[in-house]
Amino acid sequence: MTAWHLTRQQLDDYADGRLDHAMAMSAEAHILDCPRCRAGVPADPAWIRAGWAELRDVVDRPRASLLERLLTRIGVHEAAARLLVATPMLYRAWLLAMVVVLGMALATAYNVNGGTLMFFSLAPVLPLVGVALAYGRWVDPAHEFTSVTPMAGQRLLFLRSLAVLVPAFALCLVTALLLPGHGPGWAPVAWLLPALSLVTGSLLLSRWVPLIMATGLTGTVWTGALVSTVLHHESRFAAAYLFTPPAQALYAVLLAALGTACIAARARRA
Amino acid sequence: MKLFRRARRVPDYDARSSDAELLSAIGAGAADALEILHRRHAPWLGARLRYRCADPDVVDAALQDAFLSIWRNARTFTPRTADGDAAAWIWTIAIRQLVSALRRRGNKWIGDAALESYEPVGDASAEDLVLVGIEHGPLGAALNNLSPELRLAIQATILDGLTVREAAQLLGVPEGTVKTRVMRAKARLREQLT
Repeated sequence: MTAWHLTRQQLDDYADGRLDHAMAMSAEAHILDCPRCRAGVPADPAWIRAGWAELRDVVDRPRASLLERLLTRIGVHEAAARLLVATPMLYRAWLLAMVVVLGMALATAYNVNGGTLMFFSLAPVLPLVGVALAYGRWVDPAHEFTSVTPMAGQRLLFLRSLAVLVPAFALCLVTALLLPGHGPGWAPVAWLLPALSLVTGSLLLSRWVPLIMATGLTGTVWTGALVSTVLHHESRFAAAYLFTPPAQALYAVLLAALGTACIAARARRA
Repeated sequence: MKLFRRARRVPDYDARSSDAELLSAIGAGAADALEILHRRHAPWLGARLRYRCADPDVVDAALQDAFLSIWRNARTFTPRTADGDAAAWIWTIAIRQLVSALRRRGNKWIGDAALESYEPVGDASAEDLVLVGIEHGPLGAALNNLSPELRLAIQATILDGLTVREAAQLLGVPEGTVKTRVMRAKARLREQLT
């Protein structure tokens, strides 16, 4: 530590850039070591305030979670990534309910004859419930606010549905893999095509009727198909007919048609 | 996740805390500590950066980036002295942010190489000691007599502790030029002092 200190005049001159070069270098070397002189360097308080206000804007922003940063990295827009990550939080109750239902389906599958079929009949409807809860006046407490954002409407609906479907499908798939093994190798994903068809159908219908009604309709269609098949064949194992290869082909065609209709409807609007 | 983050204890601090204490609070996520640090260090950092770059907007941007970098990397600070003074550490961050701010601004031909670790041309600490007392001695007059190019080369490599590459980016000249200028400046100083 040095014994001398810069004078007030020298500090003012330094801050204004008026010191000659040797003096400025000397002052800098001294200031780096001397907290007292460092504190004496004058600065415009308004400049400090403005600088801090700008910094606080960035500093106060919550840190992006790992998943969010990953999504941004692979090219998802920042706002969309935040939305995708936050949405499952909004439906935590539904996610929990889904885990409970799937757990029970698993227990049934192991303990009741034909329990596996029950899971398959259930699996296409579970993601549908999530989609039903994703958007709309009756299910979203913040609907009044979200409806006036630029993202509202079909775009928000699609994004939220996506955020709901990913965990839903993952959970269903895990459960399906844990089921007691029967049937062909593709059995664990037999529910996937009907589920996707139902969801796509609901999204398409939601252009004309409220989403909750659209999902109700498609859900009813599925239940109707299930009940009528069982009644027609007079056996509760008849539900398996809904998952045979010909039926799967039908779902694939249906899904392609619905998907095309969805995209066409979007394109026409845009 | 949030539970863990909140559970991390923020050390106590106030406006009189040392830099090291403030930085450990900043590392734990205390924005107020960053405000104290900003109020304490922004004045001299701003003044010193303005001696390196004539454009006040670039200086302000570099200063903002420096404090953001401190906010993100506060935990990497290890105090060298007993009083926990972080001025030298903060200055290193600020001058490097200035270099990259100048590079971003359109000096595209310089390239995008990452900043290198310390590799000062001279032994900075020994020459700092000389610099502290030069204002009246013969060295002061000799420094003032140097041409601006030579003086800036000395300033960037010795006083600011930049690598040759960083100094080249700051001054906007090739690396080889910086090296020859530093050598010529030292020779000129030696001439005038003997």
